[in-house]
Amino acid sequence: MTSLRRRILVLMAFLLTASAFAADVPETVKEREQRRIKTIEKIAPSVVCVMPASGAGGGSGVLISADGYAISNYHVTSGSGDFMKCGLNDGKLYDAVIVGIDPTGDVALIKLLGRDDFPFCEPGDSDAVRMGDEVVALGNPFLLAGDFTPTVTYGIVSGVRRYQYPAGTFLEYTDCIQVDASINPGNSGGPLFDIDGRWIGINGRASFEKRGRINTGAAYAISVRQVLLFVEHLRSGRIVDHARTEFTVETNDGVVEFSSVSQLSEPYRRGVRSGDELVSFAGRSLTSANDFKNILGILPEGTRVPMTWRNDDGIHRTTVRLLPLHGFEEAPELPGDRQPQPGDEDEQDKPQRPGRPGMQRKPPPPVPAQWKHLFKKQKGYANAYFNEQHMKRLVERLREAVPSELTKADTQWVFAVATEKSTGELGVSPKAAWLQWEGGRSSLQPAAEVAQSNEPDEFGGVLTALLQMRKFFRADDELFSETFFHGDEHIAPSGAHVEVVVTKDDLIKCRWYFMEGNPLPIGLDLQTGAGEDEARLRFDAWKTDSSVLYPSRIGVVDADREETDWMDVSSIRVGAPAK
Amino acid sequence: MKNCTIKTVLSAVMLASGLTADENKTPSVPDIVESRQETVVKLFGAGVGNLDSYGSGIIISEDGLVATVWNHLVNNGFLTAVTADGQRHEVIVVGTSLKHDLAILRLDTAEPQKFPFIDYKSSGALKTGDGLLAFSNEYHVATGNEPVSVMHGVLACETPLDAGLGRWQFPVKSPVYLIDAIVNNSGAAGGLVTDSRGVPVGMLGREIRHRDTNMWVNYAVPLRTLEPAISTILSGQRVRDDEPEEEDRVLLSDRKLTAVFGITVLPAILKKTPAYIDRIVPGSAAAAAELQRGDLVLMVEDDVIQSVEDLRAALATHRKGQSISLTVNRNDSLAVKTLVVP
Repeated sequence: MTSLRRRILVLMAFLLTASAFAADVPETVKEREQRRIKTIEKIAPSVVCVMPASGAGGGSGVLISADGYAISNYHVTSGSGDFMKCGLNDGKLYDAVIVGIDPTGDVALIKLLGRDDFPFCEPGDSDAVRMGDEVVALGNPFLLAGDFTPTVTYGIVSGVRRYQYPAGTFLEYTDCIQVDASINPGNSGGPLFDIDGRWIGINGRASFEKRGRINTGAAYAISVRQVLLFVEHLRSGRIVDHARTEFTVETNDGVVEFSSVSQLSEPYRRGVRSGDELVSFAGRSLTSANDFKNILGILPEGTRVPMTWRNDDGIHRTTVRLLPLHGFEEAPELPGDRQPQPGDEDEQDKPQRPGRPGMQRKPPPPVPAQWKHLFKKQKGYANAYFNEQHMKRLVERLREAVPSELTKADTQWVFAVATEKSTGELGVSPKAAWLQWEGGRSSLQPAAEVAQSNEPDEFGGVLTALLQMRKFFRADDELFSETFFHGDEHIAPSGAHVEVVVTKDDLIKCRWYFMEGNPLPIGLDLQTGAGEDEARLRFDAWKTDSSVLYPSRIGVVDADREETDWMDVSSIRVGAPAK
Repeated sequence: MKNCTIKTVLSAVMLASGLTADENKTPSVPDIVESRQETVVKLFGAGVGNLDSYGSGIIISEDGLVATVWNHLVNNGFLTAVTADGQRHEVIVVGTSLKHDLAILRLDTAEPQKFPFIDYKSSGALKTGDGLLAFSNEYHVATGNEPVSVMHGVLACETPLDAGLGRWQFPVKSPVYLIDAIVNNSGAAGGLVTDSRGVPVGMLGREIRHRDTNMWVNYAVPLRTLEPAISTILSGQRVRDDEPEEEDRVLLSDRKLTAVFGITVLPAILKKTPAYIDRIVPGSAAAAAELQRGDLVLMVEDDVIQSVEDLRAALATHRKGQSISLTVNRNDSLAVKTLVVP
């Protein structure tokens, strides 16, 4: 009793002191407090509690668009099933479906369903983040958010451009942001914001040690820059891959040098040799081999990135196509220590569970019938449904734009082409493609082995590309061994933002580039195999009337100069092939 | 200590003011971090058992003297220091002080070199509730040629510390800074603590547990406590350890030994009175461990017990609920008994 009385007295004394103290709070502190409150009010609605339909365990996420796309960690969605339940701070529970996954980078894209006016966050510039910057982390640590109001923790940036080793071969954190804000089990997948409420990262890892699986003041967020680069691919529904290059680098006396360059690689053909200096990669300069690892680690496979290198002749610029790192066909299993550990959350939940709203753990409700069609299982995909939707949209648009006259099985196309110096004819028929130029004629017979090596070097694969285009314009899947939507990216050398459709025809792989608002491609890059440069064609200003269709200009990208050489097209003749 | 707790809670209210007051007059936190992080080096050496192979150090002179904690890293040699710009240097141990848990190292440079440093002689002081920044090589996160990590916190209180790890007793007797953030992680020992304006105030100590609570302690030794020792070492003299190590040990009182464990030993009349058990309280932990009158305790866990003082010291380091093995000589044969600390 005495002890209780003493406790009350101490508490009262404390409260009195505290309120007396509150009166003395300087204006600047009050202002900062108000600023924090406003920031948190602004960002909290975009924060998601991600749970398996069963309700056991869970993590966090953040909405990035009004139609419900949200980001989380792969290690959160991996154990949560294809359909999940997501809670927002409006107290409501929404159905959600998996869209795309990036196991290497530990990122997953999901889509919340049932609204087209979801609140979403505003991305910031994670490259501009500095050590010492104030940050707030929002999420669902220990699954405390019974009514889905996210927990907020405050801290500063402890380090930037950090590297965290992968667990096995994936879940690798490169170029990440280290914070001292408290990050605990359940925070995974949740957003990190700067103090003005701009989204700068996804909290996914922490250094746990002798103190157990609780925060020790060192946690790591995937940079929003990396997330945004991958979102463009994740929305394709694929299992998205990270990248590798066909060369390695090492730091030598503060200089980053190529240590080995594959002789079959693109950089080798551009003249890169071991011992040359790598000056910049993907637009960022380097001072160590670690820098290279950090830069490469945030880039998705398949994109083409600029590279600057130096040898005895001076500085050179080129672009490099990034190759796939893993080529996962199935979502990989999480390593044991990264698997959801229900004990972490559940046991700590138990004493508080009674009476808390929204957290009763009932058996998972079945997937509502209205959403069932939103998931399709297929090798290489997290959810093939989304890929089909994008393909349908792009291919249907293309089919409508191409006059049927052009795509009849037996027609041939002959473009009248001209450069400043001379004129000629570019033709493609079901059986062959040819270029007639300054009296000479080069042709390519697909009946023979279809390879760029069959056509003269100076044409840069134009003829092979035209044959592929003829096939592609018929918009008939049967003509290719595989077609799929790859995602969005910026293409070299123009930097245009495009949607990418990939077709595979035996050994020939084409990437078709579409710009928003244009049903016709602005170009294609064509690969035939190792050891050969890509044929990179660009199309400009498509002319269309009732029966014909042709680009006013056809460009060929010169790999050495990384520039596009254009020829004007003045007409197209469509008809039966000459016998 | 109670007074300290109340102040700690109060200080949390002041968190924001601590780090960011007077923005117009003081540089921003990122600017302060940028200027201070380069005075902290990452140390890499040999780990021992569970002990880490990495640590931190503070550059305290332009020519590359470094202050750090005198721990296994320093003792085991082969120590390398990496500066914030990624340069690697071998280090030479200049001197140490046991009672400050301090070692002074020199970065071994082929040619004279100028390093960014902090002036340990004009350090600041923290008051309870002041904001602070802690710089360290925690978890060796900063693996590349990148600066160490920085954390923010608030001074909880300044107090003498009764803490240690196992039988090792934290030797600094004067008050240390207790910090409200988890700053003493693996590899953080030897890191720099500054006030919210970047003025150096302390050095992060090694990982230790508090003797009363068994909790890991987050603390730093004030630079003004270290300053005389650093000066002594740099003047080429030895820091005198005027208190023999023996007296630093915490001994369990005879009363507690009986009340808690149920053991009564012979009175310590000799310098090394053998640890014979004189009496066992029926129903006590000692009785449950089947210890008997006349047993001579030879070992507690792996520690050799040569006297009743040794026994009282060894039992003082163990916590409630722990199982301790006691090796005793009974009738000229050895027996191992398991004692559960009540």
